[in-house]
Amino acid sequence: MILLRLISWQYVRQHRLRSLLTTIGIVLGVGIFVGMHAAGASVLSALSTTIDRIAGKTQLQITSGEAGFPEEVLERVQSLREVAVAAPVIEAVVRSGVEREGNLLILGVDMTGDRSLREYDLEAGDQDIVDDPLVFLAQPDSLIVTRDFAQRNGFGVASKLTMETMEGERVFTIRGIMRPGGLGAAFGGNLGVMDIYAVQKFLGRGRRFDRIDVRLKDEHSLAEGQAALSNALGPGFQVDVPAARNRQFDSLLHVYSFMVNLSSLFALLIGLFLIHNTFAIAVSQRRSEIGILRALGASRRQVLALFMTESAIIGLVGSAAGIVLGSFIAKEMAGLIGNIMQAHYGIAERAHEVRFGAGLLAASIAMGMTTSILAALLPARNAALVDPARAVQRGSNQDISRGNSRGRSAAAGMFALLAVLCVFMGHSQVVFYAGYLSFVLAALLLAPTLSVWLSCSLRPLLTAVQPFEGRIAADSLIQAPRRTSGTVAALMLSVGLVVSMGGLSRGTFESVVDWVSSFLNSDLLVLASEDGTNRSFHFPDSVTASLASIDGVSDVQRMRSNKVTVKGASVLLVAIDMSTALARTSGRVVAGNFQQMYRLGAEGKGVIISENCGLLHNLGMGNTVEVPSPSGLVRLPVVGIVTDYLNQSGTVFVDYEAVYQPFWKDPTVDMYKVYLKQGVSEQSVKQQIQTKLSRQRRMFVMLNREVKARVMSNTRQWLGLSYIQIAVAMLVAALGIANTLLVAVTDRRREFAVVRAIGAFRNQVRKSVWLEATGLAAIGVTLGVAFGAIDLLYERQIVRHDYAGLTLNYDFPVLLVFLLGVGLIVTAWISCLAAAEMAARHSMVEALEYE
Amino acid sequence: MEHTSELVTLKPAHSRSCSRSGQVICLDNVCKEFDGARKVTALDSINLHINRGEMVAIVGPSGSGKSTLLNLIGTLTVPTSGSIKIAGQRTDLLGDAALTRVRRDKIGFIFQFFNLLFSLNCLENIGLPLHLRGYSARKVRERSRELLDLVGLGHRLNHLPDELSGGERQRVAIARALAYDPPILLADEPTGNLDSVTGEGILALISDLQRRCGSTVVLVTHDDVVARIASRRIMLRDACIVKDERT
Repeated sequence: MILLRLISWQYVRQHRLRSLLTTIGIVLGVGIFVGMHAAGASVLSALSTTIDRIAGKTQLQITSGEAGFPEEVLERVQSLREVAVAAPVIEAVVRSGVEREGNLLILGVDMTGDRSLREYDLEAGDQDIVDDPLVFLAQPDSLIVTRDFAQRNGFGVASKLTMETMEGERVFTIRGIMRPGGLGAAFGGNLGVMDIYAVQKFLGRGRRFDRIDVRLKDEHSLAEGQAALSNALGPGFQVDVPAARNRQFDSLLHVYSFMVNLSSLFALLIGLFLIHNTFAIAVSQRRSEIGILRALGASRRQVLALFMTESAIIGLVGSAAGIVLGSFIAKEMAGLIGNIMQAHYGIAERAHEVRFGAGLLAASIAMGMTTSILAALLPARNAALVDPARAVQRGSNQDISRGNSRGRSAAAGMFALLAVLCVFMGHSQVVFYAGYLSFVLAALLLAPTLSVWLSCSLRPLLTAVQPFEGRIAADSLIQAPRRTSGTVAALMLSVGLVVSMGGLSRGTFESVVDWVSSFLNSDLLVLASEDGTNRSFHFPDSVTASLASIDGVSDVQRMRSNKVTVKGASVLLVAIDMSTALARTSGRVVAGNFQQMYRLGAEGKGVIISENCGLLHNLGMGNTVEVPSPSGLVRLPVVGIVTDYLNQSGTVFVDYEAVYQPFWKDPTVDMYKVYLKQGVSEQSVKQQIQTKLSRQRRMFVMLNREVKARVMSNTRQWLGLSYIQIAVAMLVAALGIANTLLVAVTDRRREFAVVRAIGAFRNQVRKSVWLEATGLAAIGVTLGVAFGAIDLLYERQIVRHDYAGLTLNYDFPVLLVFLLGVGLIVTAWISCLAAAEMAARHSMVEALEYE
Repeated sequence: MEHTSELVTLKPAHSRSCSRSGQVICLDNVCKEFDGARKVTALDSINLHINRGEMVAIVGPSGSGKSTLLNLIGTLTVPTSGSIKIAGQRTDLLGDAALTRVRRDKIGFIFQFFNLLFSLNCLENIGLPLHLRGYSARKVRERSRELLDLVGLGHRLNHLPDELSGGERQRVAIARALAYDPPILLADEPTGNLDSVTGEGILALISDLQRRCGSTVVLVTHDDVVARIASRRIMLRDACIVKDERT
């Protein structure tokens, strides 16, 4: 401890900026990790609370995919002896019609039975209305809202609220206001309660329910009730506890967590290299100090312990600061996750406070400290090996890392060989990931050697540009791989990540463009919801004939989509008119014959699945797909596999007439693809549809180009993630280069003083530091581009087999690499300003006496 | 001597500039103080005039101000008060860029610890001052070769400093100091890091070069044997000149 105070603390005090830069890597890594996980956990916890509030005393919930089921099911449930209460529910997301409020979750319930499950703790309104459900029923425009919502918007009892329904805009009357807490606090108060039969009418749901909430008789256990309900309803229904709904979102969040965890891992790796770098330099600079300590009787173990303790403290301080940073990130991320949820559920769940579990905090600190300790391991070992006799001798040098270099090169070669072998060793997942890991390790271990080679090849160029400054800069890079290798490795990883992610993004974008032009090829699209993703609103099938009768319309293709569970995973079931699709679309076929698959599909003899559905759920041509429906399990063989991007966890296409109607008995449609006769103006047909149909019901008519523009805009937003990664890469570059150059400048004080003494101007010294920064960035970018180019091959496989089930083209992001290269070099110049100034302004007299 | 004639061809016109009186180094009432926790006077009212071609040894005990005096002459630092003229130019009034130009054109340094750049080989180390003056790569190479021959290391062109003995490193440092044939050579304990035999060789080389090139040499030493090669000995004690004798 005393050594720590006398030796380490003094060193940190003398090198404050460098210590700060070193710690930042850990701060970033821990910050991103804590922020994401705390935000995710907080939103999930808020969602869980909301689900509990909405569930009330519900023990089990019965569903059958998003399409719901006919009303008769309720009677079957109520007749079971295990069931005490069974109440039907419809949940719909509608626009509140109030500016800044966004959407409202409308809970359609049957007031006659629902109050035994949920407490409607009304603080205002005519309690009698709710006490007597018949009165509530008699007034179908009745709406109960929460106090939060009412207060925010200045509503009271009898206030009117205009909402969009399938019958166009309708005015509803607030007849009750719920107290906060319980149901009134769900979704931050953006919740309304209506009579379920009114909801059926206004939202075009027909005689169907989304769900039945069940409370069991006291004498029956949950397992008994679940078994009895499953037996009675058959495999087309899911009987689950309310909390199971959380799992859906959890799995959705998983995709986003993957990206953020990856960034967090990279940030920590980068932190690891920065710390390794700084410790390697510190050991070199403090060699005489270590020698004196050893001469005074400090054992090798004490020296090792001194450096390891220093690194542990850096890890601890970095982790603590990371947690603070993470709390800020968490607040922002909670909003982002809330938006993801809004896209999924229609209503944003906001975490009002971000909570940090003790487990998360402990994991973060452990992660930060482990990274830091690992990073310092080799330099600390080298410190322990310092020869005291040589260290105290002025002017002598001891190369303590030569052995490391040989070992490192041998290990790099071994891992590279292993990576190549794995490519030829089959398709097992274990072999693939072993190969990937070997490739990353080989690249990291080779980075110092490659960095020296590149520096050597840069030397003639730098010397030709600036004979004096270029020579000094190049030689600094060549002669001090220990100083630069950490930064080069960090830059390589960071640039590589951007390149591979950029490549994936480009590949995805190109594929989406390709898909959009083949799948979304109709002249017009008629939607029940504005964004096309809200499945609360449906058209009755009668709209089909109305559309077909409009002048200029050639074909109308129906589309009804809802989430179903296949092989335990949620996939999108899309019912379409296969015969029209056969005539009109030209999808990219992955397996099967295009003509045959649509013909068989139209006859109800099979399903067509998306490529990602097949890869993610292990389904191939001829395999039987089992889809639960209200009429029982639908078992159909896979007759074709196509490329499709409708759903990230997979899509199953069935024929609307031959399969969907007989099994789901749901005569509704979400979207129409309208094909026009040749020469007919899209605009005029759009106008006709709006005139003829939009006045009667809620309807959104879009031109093909508008739909494409929207899809591409959404895709671009998603791809915007790669810009965040570029920003992270820039930050890493700035940190790494600033750190390395500060270290380099301190390390080379004598050298700069010598060149100043023999007549170099301050500007020449500055220029040599700038050139060194440029060289460092150029080397990092070159290695990163090479790393990224290979990494992209692996990432494509990961995307294909484990992430999205999509086969993407190998699309090298040339423009991105160019922008990144320029950006990093500019970043390098900016981040070396302090170091350059320090180098130019060092006292020559002091530095010449410095060893 | 044939090397010397070559050297002359590379000299710029101003490199031989001296004051009319023949004094190349003039210090008048120079004081140097260091501000720290307490103020330290390193040099107090120093008056020193050195003529062209003189070889002067500055001697004195540790802490007497020898190195500070050398650093002031070498324009590595500036005086707190007083005036300094180097080859007729007042340096105490100059800014950093002008001081750099003075160092570049008029002064060559030989350090105790050689201060060679470890990443550069002998040729490149010697060529550095010439690159700074914007010489072409060919000229730099030729001149560096000549200088290495001059100090007897013509066979060590591409060796790195790490591959040389202490004496050889100091020879390279001397060659670098002579690269532009400066009128003033400053040597700070040039044999301080060498054994006595090697040290003698280095002193002989400095003497020989001084005679051949006619440079003014100021060397700082605490070693009487080293000081004996000088024609003039200046003794410092407690920041003041206490003795100035010619031998």
